[in-house]
Amino acid sequence: MKKILRWGLSIVCICWLWPAAGFANENSEWFECHSDEGLTKESTDNILKTEITEFLYVDEEKFNHSVHNINGITCVDCHSDIEELNYDEEVPHEQYLKAVCCASCHEEAGDDFKNSVHMKMRNKGITMTCYACHGYHYVQHMESASVAERENSICLKCHNPYQFHDWLPSRDSHFAYVECVVCHAPDVPRHINLKLYDLVTDSFYKSDKLFKVLGMEPEQFMGTIDANKDGLIDAAEFDNLVLLLKQKNIHAVFRAELVADINSIAHHVNRGTAEKTCQNCHSAESPYFNAVSLIFSKDDGTVERYNVARPVLESYHVSHFYLLAGTRMKLMDKIGIFLLAGGACAVFIHFTARVLTIPLRKKKDQDEA
Amino acid sequence: MTSEKEKMIYVHSAPVRVWHWINAFGFVLLILTGLQIRYAEMLNLMPLSDAISLHNYVGFAVIFDYLLWLVYYVGSGKVRIYIPDLRQVVTLAVKQVKYYGYGFFVGKPNPHAMTPDNKFNALQQQAYLMIMFVLLPAQMISGVFLWKIKGYSEYINLLGGIKVIDTIHVVLFFFFTTFILIHCYLATLGHTPLAHFKAMFTGYEEHH
Repeated sequence: MKKILRWGLSIVCICWLWPAAGFANENSEWFECHSDEGLTKESTDNILKTEITEFLYVDEEKFNHSVHNINGITCVDCHSDIEELNYDEEVPHEQYLKAVCCASCHEEAGDDFKNSVHMKMRNKGITMTCYACHGYHYVQHMESASVAERENSICLKCHNPYQFHDWLPSRDSHFAYVECVVCHAPDVPRHINLKLYDLVTDSFYKSDKLFKVLGMEPEQFMGTIDANKDGLIDAAEFDNLVLLLKQKNIHAVFRAELVADINSIAHHVNRGTAEKTCQNCHSAESPYFNAVSLIFSKDDGTVERYNVARPVLESYHVSHFYLLAGTRMKLMDKIGIFLLAGGACAVFIHFTARVLTIPLRKKKDQDEA
Repeated sequence: MTSEKEKMIYVHSAPVRVWHWINAFGFVLLILTGLQIRYAEMLNLMPLSDAISLHNYVGFAVIFDYLLWLVYYVGSGKVRIYIPDLRQVVTLAVKQVKYYGYGFFVGKPNPHAMTPDNKFNALQQQAYLMIMFVLLPAQMISGVFLWKIKGYSEYINLLGGIKVIDTIHVVLFFFFTTFILIHCYLATLGHTPLAHFKAMFTGYEEHH
């Protein structure tokens, strides 16, 4: 009985591992041809409908670091219409392959994309593919990407934001610190990313470097900083974090950006639905700043993420981020009220004394007359 | 017997009066739009984007007005009226404080007699010297930085970040709002409550 069980398990394991082993070989087979930088084909541009030369070179090094390869997705998982390679032919597979259907894996994203202006463009005969924005062979995790990296790699490929934002005050600041979809897909969840910027090397602190200097593992971070164990770094705990960084000789500042969660709802970009009411963001009660995260980037584009309380944004530790009304410092309001009340009191007291002493001055005038 | 005309002295020249009222009007607009910008969720004077645009335009008008003042006062040498005489400033300031705190109430004359070359009393001299050469430039420069945060990011970072710039601008905003309140009240302390106001329109101050 034991023998039968052992053989059975062995067969199951081999069956399970066999396709993976096969695909692994297949990837390397692909690169036999597609590592040739001169490999091209003539094609038609999806949008412009013009003849173009399409480059078929794939950088193996970059592909190996892509999120798809890391997750074990092989060439034929996407190019699924290729069943075998025939090396007797000049091109060992069909010359024109079917378009890759990303939604067959990314179902939710595919559904959300249907509710977008980019899908509706198809009514005008223009087909926007997923990879027109996201790319294909070198897709990376975007969690750690800055606003500039997110915009440059997606929206700014086609759109020039300076053409359509004349109404928007401080356009440059909005473009620099707010990701496009935060306003253009208003129902997407969003949060403030706080990153530690190293003033010495002029770059953001990476997770591995930071934790090495701090002398702790990422899992120990909250246990050390979050004194009241509520899973949130509040203002007092943030003070302690800043002190700890100083003790470790880390000369850095916190930089903040308003970004969308990596969420398929970000596809809900539609004509006329963008957020244009400034007060929705620029107000002390704005929900845009309820979620604040301290993030440390990892090499693969993912992050170590720790939740931070909103009042931290009002502190001087985050001195490189300020949002009109939204993150205003309540201390300033108190100073303002103190100044105004002091001025008004001085005027009131002087005026009262002035009224009360009218008889004195009248008497003096009469005496002099 | 002295005629009414002889009792009047010309203390505010036309450029100064024009400058003053443009500045005053600009300050009021800046305060109102500034309040709307800072307290967008509480006030509803105008849409936030309009408040910001108006604040920017008026801000630049006030900066231009300031530069006119600077050229006029420095060019004509009248800037001297802002410089206190260090040998007398403490004595004169104490006298002035005594006047505002006591003498005024009992009908004593103002220890400072206004003339075109000596328009400001010792307290005014110190206050305006600070305002015109430190506080107002600081407000204008911080305002320009806040207008184009990305463009001036290098300077902003050098000064400690956007929050530091904002703090300077907001504290000065409250200071100038309080200043306008007190300034308007002190302007009623002439020989009649409206005497100083009239003088700032006509240029003539009644001499007593």
